[in-house]
Amino acid sequence: MNAATKTIPVNRDVKAELRRQAEELRQQFARHGTLVINVLSSPGAGKTALLEATAKHWAGQRKMAVLVGDLATDRDAQRLAPHCPVEQLTTGGACHLEIPLVKQGLEKLGSDDFDFLFIENVGNLVCPASHDLAEHLRVVLLSVTEGDDKPGKYPKMFRTSQTMVISKLDLLPHVPFSVDAAIEDARLIQPELTTISVCSLNGDGIADWCDYLDECRQSLLSPLWTTDPHSTAQ
Amino acid sequence: MHEASLVRSLLRQVGELLVEHGGESIVTIRVEMGPLSGVERPLVEIAFAEQVDSTPCRGAELKVEEVPLSAICRECGNEFDIERFRFVCPACESTRVRVISGEEFRLLDIEIRQPQTESVSREQP
Ligand SMILES: Nc1nc2c(ncn2[C@@H]2O[C@H](COP(=O)(O)OP(=O)(O)OP(=O)(O)O)[C@@H](O)[C@H]2O)c(=O)[nH]1
Ligand SMILES: [Mg+2]
Ligand SMILES: [Zn+2]
Repeated sequence: MNAATKTIPVNRDVKAELRRQAEELRQQFARHGTLVINVLSSPGAGKTALLEATAKHWAGQRKMAVLVGDLATDRDAQRLAPHCPVEQLTTGGACHLEIPLVKQGLEKLGSDDFDFLFIENVGNLVCPASHDLAEHLRVVLLSVTEGDDKPGKYPKMFRTSQTMVISKLDLLPHVPFSVDAAIEDARLIQPELTTISVCSLNGDGIADWCDYLDECRQSLLSPLWTTDPHSTAQ
Repeated sequence: MHEASLVRSLLRQVGELLVEHGGESIVTIRVEMGPLSGVERPLVEIAFAEQVDSTPCRGAELKVEEVPLSAICRECGNEFDIERFRFVCPACESTRVRVISGEEFRLLDIEIRQPQTESVSREQP
């Protein structure tokens, strides 16, 4: 090293500050009894359809709201608006959501009095995996038309998720997709993954999905909830 | 591609450190990444090259250290590298493993150039 230079050790995650903000917000939601769910998938796997079906199933029996990330349009927000409070987060071309956008969306929503807050991420199995949005639960959708080999191809996404929803179950007879193979592949990466299969169009599996969310919220509200769900990866 | 936004954040943090430590400029920025960092090395390097000269880190060199994905088994304490994203301990086959490296994009250290007038007297630790 040259005499006029010096090395300054830093040794921190580039996202350390964003992670700290996410953790703070996560605790705040937990205190208010709001379970935050980050919903991720490739484009068109059925995130919005699942949220529509969820809102219809609960039909006002649970207070839910949605923040929906979209590159350019408000189409998903328009689909959800008849069913529940929804705010759109326009990413302006960015391929993933980050915590500051979520905070803006929360301000626009106004109320914070929800049982469930869903954040529909931008359709993308890569970049959103790296960004903690203060969720308690990360759910990745895999539609049967995408192929059962996808978990292993997008390891970070499946590793950082707690739940995998296999969607478009009604199309199973038409495509070479094995639900068991997809689950087995995903569990090699994330052994603790919970899996649920649904068809959002005819409602198959939606009651199970909603019951599961209720259970997750119960355990969130229990005084035992202190750990960061993302301690495995991010 | 989110590398551009992560590199922007990296350069902002380094810029702040430069001011904090009273440096004149940045010589090198050393970062660490691994198989589950969620960033691709070439994309980070391209984003860095595109952005660096319009920031206070102008002229800095990026040094990338690649680390393997490694873990410790919570059952038997075995430390091992994870191959092909199979999170299973090779010694006892437990899936209760804790990742210890390779899943973050870390800023390790920076080398700063100090102002000439002060460098002689301040160099002693
Ligand atoms: N057959 C069938 N089609 C479905 C199902 N769920 C969603 N779809 C269809 O799949 C298409 C995409 O669904 P969306 O809900 O828009 O998917 P998305 O993941 O929100 O899409 P992006 O937000 O654009 O990434 C639509 O045409 C839906 O009608 C399902 O369970 N079965
Ligand atoms: Mg959608
Ligand atoms: Zn072991």
